[in-house]
Amino acid sequence: MRGGGFGLLPAPLVPLDVSLGESPVFAYAARRLLATVPLFLLATLAVFWLVNEVGDPRDRLATCSTCDQSAYDHLVELYQLEDPIVVRWGNWLGAAVTGDMGEAISQGNEPVMGIVRERAKNTALIAIPAFLLTVVVALGMSVWSAIRQYSASDYLITGVSFIGIAIPTFVLGLALQTLMLWSLKYWDLKPFYVSGMRDDSLLEFFRSAAMPAFTLAFISIGAEARFGRAAMLEVVGSDYIRTARAKGLAERTVIMKHALRNGLVTFVTVWALDFAALVGGALITETVFNWPGLGRLLIGSLFAQDIHLAMAAIFFISGLAIVCNLLADLLYGVIDPRIRFD
Amino acid sequence: MSEPIITVDGLSVAFPTPVGTVRAVNDVSFDVRGGETLAVVGESGSGKSVSALALMGLLPDTAQVSGSAMFGGQDLLAMSQRELRSIRGGEIAMIFQDPMTAMNPLFSVGNQIAEAVSVHQPDRTKDEAFGRAIDLLDIVGVPEPARRARQYPHEFSGGMRQRAMIAMAMANDPMLLIADEPTTALDVTIQAQVVEVMQAAQEATGAAIMMITHDLGLVAGLADRVQVMYGGRIVEAGSTDDIFYRSLNPYTRGLMRSIPQLGPRRADRLVPIAGTPPSLVNLPQGCAFNPRCEYRTDICDEVPDLATVAPGHQSRCHHSADLEPLETAGQGA
Amino acid sequence: MTATETDPTDGPDVAQAEGIGGQSKSFGRQTMENFLRHKLALAGLVIFVMIVVVTFLAPRLTSYSYDEINAADRAQGPSVDHLFGTDELGRDLWVRIWDGTYQSLRIALVVALVSTGIGGFLGAMAGYFGRWTDVLVTQLINLLLVVPGIVVLAVAGIKWGSKPFTMGVLLACLLWIRIARVVRAQFLSLKESEYVQAARALGAGSPRIIVRHLLPAVMGPMLVEVTLVASLAIGLEATLSFLGLGVQPPVPTLGNIINEFKGALDSRPSRVLIPGGILVTIALSLNFIGDGLRDALDPKSKKVRA
Repeated sequence: MRGGGFGLLPAPLVPLDVSLGESPVFAYAARRLLATVPLFLLATLAVFWLVNEVGDPRDRLATCSTCDQSAYDHLVELYQLEDPIVVRWGNWLGAAVTGDMGEAISQGNEPVMGIVRERAKNTALIAIPAFLLTVVVALGMSVWSAIRQYSASDYLITGVSFIGIAIPTFVLGLALQTLMLWSLKYWDLKPFYVSGMRDDSLLEFFRSAAMPAFTLAFISIGAEARFGRAAMLEVVGSDYIRTARAKGLAERTVIMKHALRNGLVTFVTVWALDFAALVGGALITETVFNWPGLGRLLIGSLFAQDIHLAMAAIFFISGLAIVCNLLADLLYGVIDPRIRFD
Repeated sequence: MSEPIITVDGLSVAFPTPVGTVRAVNDVSFDVRGGETLAVVGESGSGKSVSALALMGLLPDTAQVSGSAMFGGQDLLAMSQRELRSIRGGEIAMIFQDPMTAMNPLFSVGNQIAEAVSVHQPDRTKDEAFGRAIDLLDIVGVPEPARRARQYPHEFSGGMRQRAMIAMAMANDPMLLIADEPTTALDVTIQAQVVEVMQAAQEATGAAIMMITHDLGLVAGLADRVQVMYGGRIVEAGSTDDIFYRSLNPYTRGLMRSIPQLGPRRADRLVPIAGTPPSLVNLPQGCAFNPRCEYRTDICDEVPDLATVAPGHQSRCHHSADLEPLETAGQGA
Repeated sequence: MTATETDPTDGPDVAQAEGIGGQSKSFGRQTMENFLRHKLALAGLVIFVMIVVVTFLAPRLTSYSYDEINAADRAQGPSVDHLFGTDELGRDLWVRIWDGTYQSLRIALVVALVSTGIGGFLGAMAGYFGRWTDVLVTQLINLLLVVPGIVVLAVAGIKWGSKPFTMGVLLACLLWIRIARVVRAQFLSLKESEYVQAARALGAGSPRIIVRHLLPAVMGPMLVEVTLVASLAIGLEATLSFLGLGVQPPVPTLGNIINEFKGALDSRPSRVLIPGGILVTIALSLNFIGDGLRDALDPKSKKVRA
């Protein structure tokens, strides 16, 4: 199971077989964007409603002994709790697009934007290395499996990818934590930290980021290797590869020039979509490893009924996902000449 | 005719599968002579494609190949992949059935033809190779070759794609062109054009053609000699006229009888061959055709030899001599 | 001159090799045989069945009941008496963990049924009737996917995920999309196929065509997808419950059990690793089954899995 994606990828909103004049790719991108925006707005309304359904922020005050009427009033005013939901959403949205995402009541009323930015950076610090690792390893595994089908290493790769697919992210994270704890307990070795982010030095940072990043990567690699192996197998078994061999090309050229290029077409779109899934998966990984990222921020804000903070985190993550999807579509159009012209 | 350029002796190909060994090709021997067109005819599963792929070394690693195939003094079947590569696409070229999938959709047609040139003529620059690709497209009759060379395969029609494939195959003036069902995926009118292109190429370069097909009409129009395959063996071989008009093999005769014909004899019914082609895992004992053969006797439980029944004409049948004489008018396509 | 197309250059090609001169079998029979030949899938099926059986039998296999508190046996690791150990209050963990498994499986079942219902229906409508119906369904799907699923589930889980049944429905509200996609794709491709055209030419109306001709073809791929959805559902529910955003105690699920014991990771890791192991085993076996089904259904399946 992949944390964020679980295999639900949006279909293109517009049929791919339309092109307008000279720059079909950009026209397509613009059209896609235009079609996504209303959906996105609708989705934010739904999420806004959902977040508000989680609980009334005023309930927090029930346990607060030092709070008085003014605290209640502050909340009512901040969140316009007396107004209908659509109005509140509208106001929130209006402020959001100007960059004002509100105050975080669970973080001392600090402006939300600053907090989100900081946390997003931290998430990126594990998500991006995990992504790069995934890309390299999954591609390598897929090509290897395709040219050495049914070999021992092929079965090994398939096995590893099955585990990556089946294991829930948090279980993997916990298992790695256990491993580190055992390593400390029995062999007195602590190569990596399993809780929190260290930033005193580069080495310390690496030691604290390694486990969460690896967890994210392993899950992604599992899914990508499985899919990639099938895709590369199909490519390697195709007629044009046979033609390439019949022309007398060296096997190396056949794989690296022809097979890889064709395989990449499918891979590139998967990578764009997987990045969004990776960020989603960070929600879980950050919780397990106590990493101060956007995911943990979101969950914390939900528990604290901090509406503005939660909405900002969701907005950010969703925006990223939309960009990734758009990128995937664009890349597909750029790489495959059939899409451009058809 | 002229000298053989490739001599195949005792070629056998088997594939191990969980349900048994598939004997795709059984002890096949033949030669192809310079400048001639040899047609290899048979139904699907007769082993015709597999034999060609064996010669080119394009079978999967699991294939068990035995026998020899002498070409230019070397045994193709004993050569390593590296050695074969210098011959593939160079002295021996192959074109395949479906031109749509035979070309890489991501590279331009000219690029792919130029690639064939570059591999075997490394001293040519990329531009020269591309220029040659354009020339080749022109030779095979693709209009506006310079513009077309920059286009992608999906922008070509089926017939043009096959022409491009022929261009790719002829790029290095091969001595032997193996064509595996080159017209099967094409419309009839386009078939004729492609055939013309192949004939023209042959005339221009003197190449031999080994044409694998199940289309007897194509064979009649193009081939000098024909060999008929069934159950992985050659069951009859001879000149085109021998096979069409003077066949001495029950299977071949069955094939001829089952072709629909235009003309004064339309009222006759088609006579299909009873039964189904044999399982290559479980070949019948002896002659592969005997379960379906009307001349079957006990001796057919032994595999007959490929015996010479007339000059240049061989048949693998115990009963070749017993077959009734054929009416000569109108038989065959 | 027609004969079954064979391409012996494909190497080990079981289904084809059998087709040459073998007896013809019905599609269902061929599928079942293919499945049984797929060792991984078979293993997956056996293991899954075993887990279900143990889940139901578990309370009977031990003398301890769910709430029984044995202060003397507190906080022990696995032993002969308590196969999975005990918790801080002395409650037997075997019963608790298998109870959690039961809840997780139940939720997966709810998800499977509800998502198949919604997804099957909407996918069929979109695929068969096309145009406006298709646009509507596709846009609905896109709307649901704009915000990443895990985020939606996290938010919605707090309110609606606290009871197993509602959690199941919630998960199904997102996972139906996978079923719908498969069904829609099948309908789209099959409705223009020749045998459907033939049926229409013979006068069959839409309902008959759908039920008699298209549904059987859809069943297979849909079943494959259902196994995968079930596997995802178990993982997702466990994840949400682990995060505290799902099923709340005292109702046990594998996820919230792990959550409860994650603090004792260095002293009693078995409390986390055992339910975690069960989770992974269930997910793996479902995946294998789904894989085996997918290969078994493909008439041109070339894979011979060891």
